[in-house]
Formats: sequence, structure tokens, C-alpha cells
Amino acid sequence: MAQFFLETAWLIPCYALMGSILAIPWSPSLIRRTGPRPAGYINALMTLVAFLHGLIALSATWNQPAQEILIPWLQVVDLDLTIPLEFSSITIGATLVISGINLLAQIYAIGYMEMDWGWARFYSLLALFEAGMCALVLCNSLFFSYIILEVLTLGTYLLVGFWFNQSLVVTGARDAFLTKRVGDLFLLMGVIALYPLAGTWNFSELAEWASTANVDPKVAALLGLALIAGPMGKCAQFPLHLWLDLAMEGPVPSTILRNAVVVCTGAWVLIKLEPIIALSPLAASATLIIGAVTALGGTMVAIAQIDIKRTLSYLVSAYMGLVFIAVGTGQSETALTLMLTYAVSMALLVMSIGGIVWNSITQDVTKLGGLWAKRPASAFSYLVGAAGLVAVPPLGGFFALLQVGDHLSSTYPWFLGLLLLVNGLATFSLTRVFGLVFGGKPKPMSERSPEVHWPMALPMLLLMGFTLHVPLILLQWQLIPDWSTLNTTVAGLLVLSSAVGCTLGSFIYLNNGFAKPVRFGNKSLQDLFAYDFYTQKVYRLTIVFVVDLVSRAISWADRYIVDGVVNLVGILTVFSGQSLKYNVSGQTQFYALTILFGIVLFGIVVSWPLLARLSLIVNGF
Amino acid sequence: MHLQLQYFLLLAAALFCIGIYGLITSRNAVRVLMSIELMLNAVNLNLMGFSNFIDPQEIKGQVFTVFVITVAAAEAAVGLAIVLSIYRNRETVDMEQFNLLKW
Repeated sequence: MAQFFLETAWLIPCYALMGSILAIPWSPSLIRRTGPRPAGYINALMTLVAFLHGLIALSATWNQPAQEILIPWLQVVDLDLTIPLEFSSITIGATLVISGINLLAQIYAIGYMEMDWGWARFYSLLALFEAGMCALVLCNSLFFSYIILEVLTLGTYLLVGFWFNQSLVVTGARDAFLTKRVGDLFLLMGVIALYPLAGTWNFSELAEWASTANVDPKVAALLGLALIAGPMGKCAQFPLHLWLDLAMEGPVPSTILRNAVVVCTGAWVLIKLEPIIALSPLAASATLIIGAVTALGGTMVAIAQIDIKRTLSYLVSAYMGLVFIAVGTGQSETALTLMLTYAVSMALLVMSIGGIVWNSITQDVTKLGGLWAKRPASAFSYLVGAAGLVAVPPLGGFFALLQVGDHLSSTYPWFLGLLLLVNGLATFSLTRVFGLVFGGKPKPMSERSPEVHWPMALPMLLLMGFTLHVPLILLQWQLIPDWSTLNTTVAGLLVLSSAVGCTLGSFIYLNNGFAKPVRFGNKSLQDLFAYDFYTQKVYRLTIVFVVDLVSRAISWADRYIVDGVVNLVGILTVFSGQSLKYNVSGQTQFYALTILFGIVLFGIVVSWPLLARLSLIVNGF
Repeated sequence: MHLQLQYFLLLAAALFCIGIYGLITSRNAVRVLMSIELMLNAVNLNLMGFSNFIDPQEIKGQVFTVFVITVAAAEAAVGLAIVLSIYRNRETVDMEQFNLLKW
């Protein structure tokens, strides 16, 4: 029975896709009478079916070798585009995380999107995302992963642009699409350059090829850099990170999904490509450095944000940076563990703050406060999510970070310091948001703030329970190192960095005596972080400026030079006709003269040889 | 001086050129017709010259000349009739006034 479900695991993305299509009839212009709610119910049901299917399939795949099925798609000449699907405990487990978080996000959205008419569009896109992500994790081919990544880029554009009558949403969706698109296009270059080298796009065959490949270091470096460019854009890494900040204009339930799992799509591909990136030391260190810069920059920028959603979006970049660090140092397994613990905790954090935003209206943390006593469920969820994200011993994040740190301590000790710093800063940032939102005195915006209703509270509390159980699951799956082999130094340092961050954050933000808004150090430095290193201006002054200038120049050249030359031919013809008509003077005698000229000219031409001989004779004399 | 064909031809050519000059420069329509007569006479001179020097037996040129004179008379008559009919309408014979059919 379970075996049957495993063999039909390719249905998991199809359920969501079906939901996506079934939701469309409840668009406000099609079914006008019933309202949009059935779209949401159908999709939640479909996701539940996908989740249960995955759960049964997972039990069948336990302690079994990975199964691969091939779906023929296209065969042209010598190119065989067959879709390989891999059903292993990792891939089925990943679909469970995706459909599980998606199910919770969809139930959450039933509460959150209460006063909205756009359920059909919203749920259709959420389901598209679920289908895309499940297909991505099951698909074992770089080529089809790329296709799915592109579909998800389009999905991001549509989902961020959900409330498109807001101007910031439109610009945010635009930036999200273009930034991710640029990364994807570089990825495409890498994907295409890889085929002549390896002769396959199948991830497992690629890994085999990479283990014995003898590639020119320059080619390997360029290939590696192109392949990390795609995940770089997808995972909102520096410098392609602005889109995630702007994507916070979208609805909160989609943010749950985006922050928790969508950004992981890039990391998933990166992890799968790790053997190829490892071919070039340059590409590996580039991955490491991009991750390190993003992790550090992201946490510091997160600390300086006042928008509650943006305080989390920069942490997303930072944690994806940690995944990059893990991949850069060749720890694919650890990166997967980190992604699992991160996804669950981040989803919980976003659910918690989404509930706060839902009935406190403002997203400005400086206008919130004193919700601890009124919103215990949200507050506990936030605390658990935060503790699960940073290194707090019994929870999942600790073990994942510990494994990363353990490896770094023996390979790149400097980066262990960075990891500790990032962990401390992330803890500080999370504590700061907690202090500002839940601690302190109530502000006018948060004076009357009831706890959210059940559709939002239920998924939040379920996820809180799951976050608390993550360490047990890790233990069950033997993803946690044995207590005896634990690197106690690194563990101690991690806990210490969390404690320092938490203490400092509590001292500043949970202490009513500390003057708020907090001014520390230089005003311009604080602004630098608050405005995300002025990335928007940097884009505007570099890439956008150059592309704008070049396109204006090309447009000008097209309009005036290319069009001009063709128009000139026409103008000259008209002009010549207009001016030559004056030859028809109306004077008969002029016509006679013209005839005479013609005859004389013709005569000269005809008798030219004769005349030439004549001149010879004359000269002869 | 022995009379040669060339002299006749040169004289006829000169006469023809004078005719053309008159044809193109005259403002009076009757003078244009007169210039045409000059040109036709230049042609007649050519025909006579060739007839005498090249074809003295059959003198076909002289026959041609008779025809040309006849036709020239008819043409002059028609030409004068046209000039007269234009004069009746426009009350002038100035060639520069007859430029209605321009561009």
C-alpha cells in the first residue's frame, strides 16, 4: 500500500496544480454569486491530500535506496530531455515540509484574507508555488530545476503584485521579478555551458562526473560562478537582495511561504550543485564570501529596520547566507538540516508577526508595544520561532548551526567567528523586535489588540508545536551528531553568542528606562543600515542608470538614424519629383530645345568613335 | 574654286542652325513658322545637293524635294491656321503667353 503511494509520489505536485486550476472559477468575474471562499477551501484540501500522500510515501521510502522514475518529455536529435524524478527520504521529506508549511499558510490565509475578495488569485498562486516547489525537490535534473525556478519567478511577480492598486506593490513586484530573473539568466548560461562538459543534466550523474572531471580551472570557475548566480538571486544574497525587502509589500501568508520555503528553492539547487561548485576553489570561496557578506550585512540591516516584516526579511537573507557558507565549505547535509530548522522557525516568526499586523494595523515596530500580556499565543510563538532560529540548545537551529560551526572551526576558523557574530546579531535583532512589539508600554496603535481568531492561531500553534519537536525529528533521522562527539567548544561559543545578543537586546529594548528610539553611534551609520546600505540608490546609479542610458541611446539611434535613413530616401524622392516637374515649363520652344539637345547628345554618343578618329587626324596634323 | 558637295551641306547645316535658333528664340508665333520654313529649306538644299552629286541619274532627291515643298506648304497653311485660332482666343501671338500646360 505504502509502496503504491511512493510510486505515485509524482502526484504530489499535481494535487497542488489541480487546486491552482480549480481555484480560478471563483475569480470575482466568473462565479459572481458565492464569493471567493471555496477557492481557499479547495486548495487547503488539495494541500492536505498532498501532505498525506507524502507522509505515507515517506514511510515507504524509509531505509530504502532512492527510487528514480523517468517521464519522457522531448527527444530531439541527440538531446534527450527526459524528466527524472527522485523519490528518496530527503526529497519526499522536503515535499512534506513544503506542503506542510503551505497547508498551515493556507489555513492562516483563511483567517488573514478574511476581508479580501481575491482568494481565487491568491490561492491559485499559493498552490502554483506549492506545485513548483514540490516538483523542484522531486526533480533530479538541473534543466528542469531551472524551468521550475523560472516558473516560480513568474509566480513571485504575480504574488507580490497581488494588491496591484498600490504603487509600492507594483514597483516591488517589478524588482522581485527582474532581480531574480537576472540571476536565473546567469544560471541558464551555466546550465547550457555544463551540458557539453558533462553531457548530462541529471544531478546524480553530474555529481559522478564532477568526482572525476578534469576541467580547465578557468572554465570551472566561470561555470561555478554562473551556477551560483541563480541561487544568489533566488536566495536574496548580496548584491541581489533588494527584491526580498520590496517583496514584503505582498500579503503576509505569501510572506510565510516566501520567507520559509521559496527562498530555499535557490539553496536547494545550490546544494544539488555543490559537487560542481567544488570543482573550482574560486567558485567555492565566492559562495563562502557571498554568504558571509550577506549573513553579516543582513543581520546588521535587520537590526536597523523599523518595519516588522522587513526586520525578518533581512534575517532571511542572512540565514540563506549561512546556507551559502555551508555549501561553500562543502557541507550539503548540514545545509539541508539548516534549511529545515530555518524554514519551520521562520514560518512561525512570520505567522506570529502577521497576526500582530493583522489587528494592530501598523507594521512600524516603534508604534507597537506592550503586547506580551494581551497576545500570549503570538508572543510564545514568536519566542519559540526566534529560539528555533538562533542557537538555543534544545531547539533545531542550535544543532544546525553547531554542525556548520563545527566544520568551520576545523577549516575556516575566521568564519567561525563570523558565524558567532551573525548568531549574536540575529539574536539581538530578534530580541529587539520582541522587546519593541511585546515588551514595553502599549502605544496608541497597540492599546487594544485582541488575540487573533482561530484560523490564524491554529496553524501558528501547530507550527510552534512542530518547531519544538524538530530536535526530536532530527534525532530520529540521525541528523544530529551524537552527544559524545559534540564539539563542546563551538557549542559553548554559540550559546554564549546567543546569550550575549539576547542579554544586550533585552537590556536595551526590554528596559523601559532606556531612551527610545535608540540612538547609537553615528546618525549616518544608523541610516546606512536602516536604508540597507542604500542599495536602491546603488542599483539606480549603476545598473539601472547604464541600462536606461543605453536603451535611450538605442531608441534615439533607431528613431533618428535608422528610421531617418529610410525616411530620407522617401523625402529625396518626393523632393526630386517636386523640383523636376518644373522641367515641364509649358513653353513649346523649350520642348523643342530639349528635343534638340537630346538629338545632339544622342548623335555625339553614337558617332563618338568617328569623332575620336577625327580628333586623331586633327592632332596628326 | 570647284563647287563640292561639302559646301552645299555646310551651307544647309548653317541654314538649319539659323532656323533652329529662330525656332527657339522667336517670341512671335509667325516667326517660329518662318524658322521652320528655313529649316525645311535647309533640308531641301541637302536633298538637292545629294541628288546632284551622288545620284545624278535617277535624281530621287529632287523628287523628295518636290514632296517636301508640297508638304511644307500644307504645314505652313495648317500652322498659320493654328496661330490664327490661338490669336482669336488669346488676342496675342507671343509664344511666352502660351504656357498654360505647365507642371
